[in-house]
Amino acid sequence: MTDMSPTLKIALIGNPNSGKSTVFNQMTGLRQRTGNFPGVTVEVKEGLLKFPSGHEATLYDFPGTYSLYPTSSDEKVVASVLTNPADPYFPDALVYVADVTKLEKHLLLFTQLLDLNIPLLFALNMSDSATDLGIKVNASKLSESFGVPVVSISGRTGHNTMRLILDLEKMVNRPPVSGNRTPFYPLTESEKQVSEAIRQNLGIENPYRALLLAHHGPWLHFLKPTEKETVLAIVSTKNFQSLRAQVDETLERYDRFIPISQAAVVSPPAFPNTPTDRIDAVLTHRLGGPLIFFGVMMLIFQAIFDWSVYPMDWIENGFALVSEFLTVQMPEAWYTELLTDGILAGLGGILVFVPQIAILFLLITILEEVGYMARVVFMFDKTMRRFGMNGRSMVSLISGSACAVPAIMSSRTIGNWQERLITVMVTPFISCSARIPVYLVLIGLAVPAIKLGGVLNLQSLVFGAMYVLGVLAAFASGWAMKRWLHRREHSFLAIELPVYRIPHWRNVVLNVWEKVKAFIVGAGKIILIVSIALWGLSRFGPGNAMDQADQTAQTEAQQLSLDTVETEGLVQQRRLEASWAGQAGKFMEPAIRPLGYDWKIGIALLTSFAAREVFTGTLAVLYNMGGSEADINDRSENAAKATLRERMKSEKFGDTGKPVYTLATALSLLVFYALSMQCFSTLAVVRRETGSWKWAALQFTFMSVAAYLGAWAVYVLFS
Amino acid sequence: MQRRYRTITDLKINESARAISFDDSELACKLTSMGLLPGTRIEMIRKSPFGSAYYVKADGVRLALREEEAASILLEV
Repeated sequence: MTDMSPTLKIALIGNPNSGKSTVFNQMTGLRQRTGNFPGVTVEVKEGLLKFPSGHEATLYDFPGTYSLYPTSSDEKVVASVLTNPADPYFPDALVYVADVTKLEKHLLLFTQLLDLNIPLLFALNMSDSATDLGIKVNASKLSESFGVPVVSISGRTGHNTMRLILDLEKMVNRPPVSGNRTPFYPLTESEKQVSEAIRQNLGIENPYRALLLAHHGPWLHFLKPTEKETVLAIVSTKNFQSLRAQVDETLERYDRFIPISQAAVVSPPAFPNTPTDRIDAVLTHRLGGPLIFFGVMMLIFQAIFDWSVYPMDWIENGFALVSEFLTVQMPEAWYTELLTDGILAGLGGILVFVPQIAILFLLITILEEVGYMARVVFMFDKTMRRFGMNGRSMVSLISGSACAVPAIMSSRTIGNWQERLITVMVTPFISCSARIPVYLVLIGLAVPAIKLGGVLNLQSLVFGAMYVLGVLAAFASGWAMKRWLHRREHSFLAIELPVYRIPHWRNVVLNVWEKVKAFIVGAGKIILIVSIALWGLSRFGPGNAMDQADQTAQTEAQQLSLDTVETEGLVQQRRLEASWAGQAGKFMEPAIRPLGYDWKIGIALLTSFAAREVFTGTLAVLYNMGGSEADINDRSENAAKATLRERMKSEKFGDTGKPVYTLATALSLLVFYALSMQCFSTLAVVRRETGSWKWAALQFTFMSVAAYLGAWAVYVLFS
Repeated sequence: MQRRYRTITDLKINESARAISFDDSELACKLTSMGLLPGTRIEMIRKSPFGSAYYVKADGVRLALREEEAASILLEV
């Protein structure tokens, strides 16, 4: 789309909670996609804006920020792009979106943008709420005072969207005014000197942009090393106190725009007790707040399991049908197997998780859009900080129970690097949807379905314990990393608790779609590649090992006089044992023996490396189930599972003759799957978000060590 | 020694006072850009369930502040 995009670039800018994204969705409809600012992992939404005249423009939705003096990587992007006219995202015009019900708070960034001298249109959003609250705004007065076009809009109702688009086109078609306008904020004497020196040395026209370079010189990436040196030298010789100057500038701007907004806005006296206050008295109550939060979480998880059963069955059955059809229709050859056992199995393994992920993100998005997530951040900030994280990490950890890939991406709003890093590192410990099928099968096989005290189902209890284990592991490693990194860096909570609102369906749908897409594209690609590679490893073996395996199996089958289905199963079993994967399993047996696993379980561990749920399918083949995987993956207690359990129970270690599959082995495997990092996609995302393989490698190592030690401890304890 | 000033952390629930200044410029930068300025009337709404964070209203805008953030805002006595 980038090469096809219209050349005219327009950016939406505004404070967090200004309703900017709703306006963006109104202006572009579904013609949008999410990209990344190059070099940084900050998202930018990009959409096609069609003017009624037939002309088109690319509309960007920049991250929300309070000012051009940023504190998080999201906010830094805005300052970086707007100070660099050579940036590919540098806009030809800006639309500034402000919440008109809090106009005063939203004017700071607006007046900073005014001084950058980029064509600017002022959109007063939430005009519907303003009317409800009895707030009257004189738009023409504002327009006159600031010298820019002003439009009252409502992103929620769509009111005046067309007017905004028409005015925007009028503005961009107007010939540029020559020369600099009078700046809204006159630079102080020392700012003037610094700005002037930077302008002359770097050839910059706009004085405020030059001043921003003085403030942000140390971290702006687009400055060449020589330019950076020049800027830093000017700052130090002029003894320019950046922080002090930022605060003074901010206060001076307020002094200048508050009279303007007071003259243009008439608000009724504020009511002390609004619905938001009454709701918060309950939802953020010292005792009730956390209790309600845990209640909400329980309901969400209940919903995920209840609602996802049917779509998951459809997807599984659909893939099984297609796979069966192709097996029958296509010639019996390796490429048919590649298609059915490699590609289709991989695709099915990816898509089967979409329902759960979509449902979880639907509910999280609704909580976020309503305004509840900000309250969660407030309530749990202290708790999270004890473990090296930040209140905002709650959103990532909760999302991690669907899929770690989008969850890790949502850590971008955390300003402090160390807190963000720890969040990224521990999120994969949270049990994601890919672990559920493994848990269910292992528990179904090993844990008796008895009720404790007639009420508590032991199987459900163990299942819940796996989630608790993941959460504990996440917090424990957060705590350890905090002690180990021990970096002193300013960390902020300071968060606005927005007024509760009914979510806008379009925002919710688009956001859920985005997360699901992040899973399918981000995780799916890698899962698919790895599952094809693993198919190859279990389909081919060294030398003529596979042919020999075929013959052995046939001979054995004749001796035992097995029927065709049983023979087919035995052939599959012997082939897998002889394959590269089988060899690897045997090779690694000494390493996993302390955990109670034999080489067959070793093979299953290896094949489940791309997608954890492959584990059960592999075991079915190894224990010669003959039937299809789907029988065993079925969530209900059935004959296939019972057979598998019988087979596994009779399995003995080759040397000692002791049974392999005991309760201790099952629990050990459960713990292994709960703690281990068996997801290449997550590692890839961690590398991207942290900027180096170092952290991904470290994460892989410590999670593997934790899984190994945990599984070993459990095995020793229960055997 | 008696303190000459107090901060948000000294406010009781439902008590309010005007902010005068900040004693940390990095926090001052962040808080002023969010609209918490010298002269802003700050009302304490409640403390967070596990302590160390405050729910305040600054001229009607609801904010959550950490202990250090709240303690950096000096109030009129």
